Amino acid sequence: MKQNDSPRGDTLAWINGSDAPEKHILNLGFMPLTDSASLIVAATQGFSQPYGLTLNLRRQQSWSALRDGLLNGELDAAQGLYGLAYSIQLGLGSAPTPMAVLMGLNQNGQSINLSQAMLESGVNSSQALIAQAKHKSRKLCLAHTFPTGTHAMWLYYWLAAHGIHPLKDVDTRVVPPSLMVEHLRAGRIDGFCAGEPWGAHAIQSGMGFTLATSQSVWPDHPEKVLCATQRFVEQYPNTARALIMSILDASRFIEESEDNRCSTAQLISGADYVNAPLTSLQPRMLGNYVDGCDHDWHDAHPLRFHGNGEVNMPYLSDGLWFMTQFRRWGLLREDPDYFAVAKQVQQVDLYKQAANALGISLPTSMLRSSTLMDGKIWDGTNPTAYAHSFDLHAIADPRATRQAN
Amino acid sequence: MLRILLINDTVKKVGKLKQALLEAGFEVIDESGLTIDLPARVQSAKPDVILIDSDSPGRDVMEQVCLFSRDLPHPIALFTDEQDPGIMRQAIQSGVSAYIVEGVESSRLKAILDVAMVRFESDQKLRAELHAREQQLSERKRVEKAKGLLMKMKSCDESEAHTLMRRQAMSRQQKLVQVAEQIIAMHEMLGE
Repeated sequence: MKQNDSPRGDTLAWINGSDAPEKHILNLGFMPLTDSASLIVAATQGFSQPYGLTLNLRRQQSWSALRDGLLNGELDAAQGLYGLAYSIQLGLGSAPTPMAVLMGLNQNGQSINLSQAMLESGVNSSQALIAQAKHKSRKLCLAHTFPTGTHAMWLYYWLAAHGIHPLKDVDTRVVPPSLMVEHLRAGRIDGFCAGEPWGAHAIQSGMGFTLATSQSVWPDHPEKVLCATQRFVEQYPNTARALIMSILDASRFIEESEDNRCSTAQLISGADYVNAPLTSLQPRMLGNYVDGCDHDWHDAHPLRFHGNGEVNMPYLSDGLWFMTQFRRWGLLREDPDYFAVAKQVQQVDLYKQAANALGISLPTSMLRSSTLMDGKIWDGTNPTAYAHSFDLHAIADPRATRQAN
Repeated sequence: MLRILLINDTVKKVGKLKQALLEAGFEVIDESGLTIDLPARVQSAKPDVILIDSDSPGRDVMEQVCLFSRDLPHPIALFTDEQDPGIMRQAIQSGVSAYIVEGVESSRLKAILDVAMVRFESDQKLRAELHAREQQLSERKRVEKAKGLLMKMKSCDESEAHTLMRRQAMSRQQKLVQVAEQIIAMHEMLGE
């Protein structure tokens, strides 16, 4: 608690000194997701005023609409998917535009869900799904939220780890997260991977069940980020730093106590924000899961927004991982200069300045090591070898594949 | 093509400016005199730029422009023969984006109006920024005041008061400043 007060004495220096924000009013894009909590709290609970910023929240209907808003300047910064920031940077699906990842907003808390009809037909486990997918009578149709997005990557990774080729053995669709439950209801999809509360909401609505959490794919995986165009950061560096500080403050506040988490859940469930019942939103935000087929548990790696800064550091290895998966699934035809791209996109220096000013600890390495669900270790040291190391893939270039073998 | 609402407040040049505008390829909506209900006319005509042609813009003109800029901001260009710097200053302060003295060839009109529009946009941006800064400051003051009152009422420290206010705001899906106003209002009602 006390720590929260320490930067206050310095904040006037940020406003009046040479570090004063160049731009004071920001339009901040977000999607109706539990993951948006720190942005909503920062904008509405007075976390940005001490840094001289007014944050106007702008809810978006889809990730593609959010991307367009960032590119045409209607949005100054936005909640983003790692895969969205890097796909714009690399020009997959739009003209390449240099992008900036300012900080991580959250880890964990996404889920893969299947329809009630699937459950009733006996598909209630990974094994049953594998059998169903291999039975080629009808291809399963699974939705994610953006062609290069994190949900596509979690879904692909999970399927591939179970021996199902995500591009050959199943059909995939793009559906905005808040419309997933309606698509299940209409029978247009057999399942989906998206952020909460939409998995929990599918269960509450009797439309589906949760097959796997994203943290079971990669414990403490990077999820949403705060992103902007590189141009924005170059034009308004002090504003960008002040924005990071506001949201870091809010992230820390959310995790200060159970009470703060609960009132955050109440706030964001409102019609102007996530617009979902508190009963769908709150339990998983607190780590309490039910899967819709009689299992319940307290998750060891629940959704988190701060984790003493571990969540917020824009690790190079986090950015690199998404590029390795783009390469793995053929979205990138060649290996990019992984480190050069990640160093350009991840705003490590800006983040460090903001974290230092708030007394938030920084890791010594820009790379972090994780073990994913298939036992593979990702530590960021050799992205090219990692991208080419998977049994199931869609790397088109045969020379590249041979090289990896 | 730009839509221009032309307001004529002059006798001698009648038709001249309009002709020049038409030659330059603008769409011109004609109005004479400043006796019209300017806001209503603008709302129905939806012009990109308002152009006032006036021999000598008097107080009535300035007053209309001033009120109008506040409620329904639009780029306004003023064409006049008046060279008095005082009137010029007053016009700019009232919200005129371009003040053009004496006649203009049609070839220059487009450039003048383009500049007026850019100038208007940047003025609007500055005004919005200023407004936001003022609001930021006043919100901070209200929050600080409410926090002080709450600290006294609850005998708690600053950080605890801040957290209590935020929790209250969040559980009611309100902004922090709304809860601050409620605390101040309640305190005023109950007195010391």
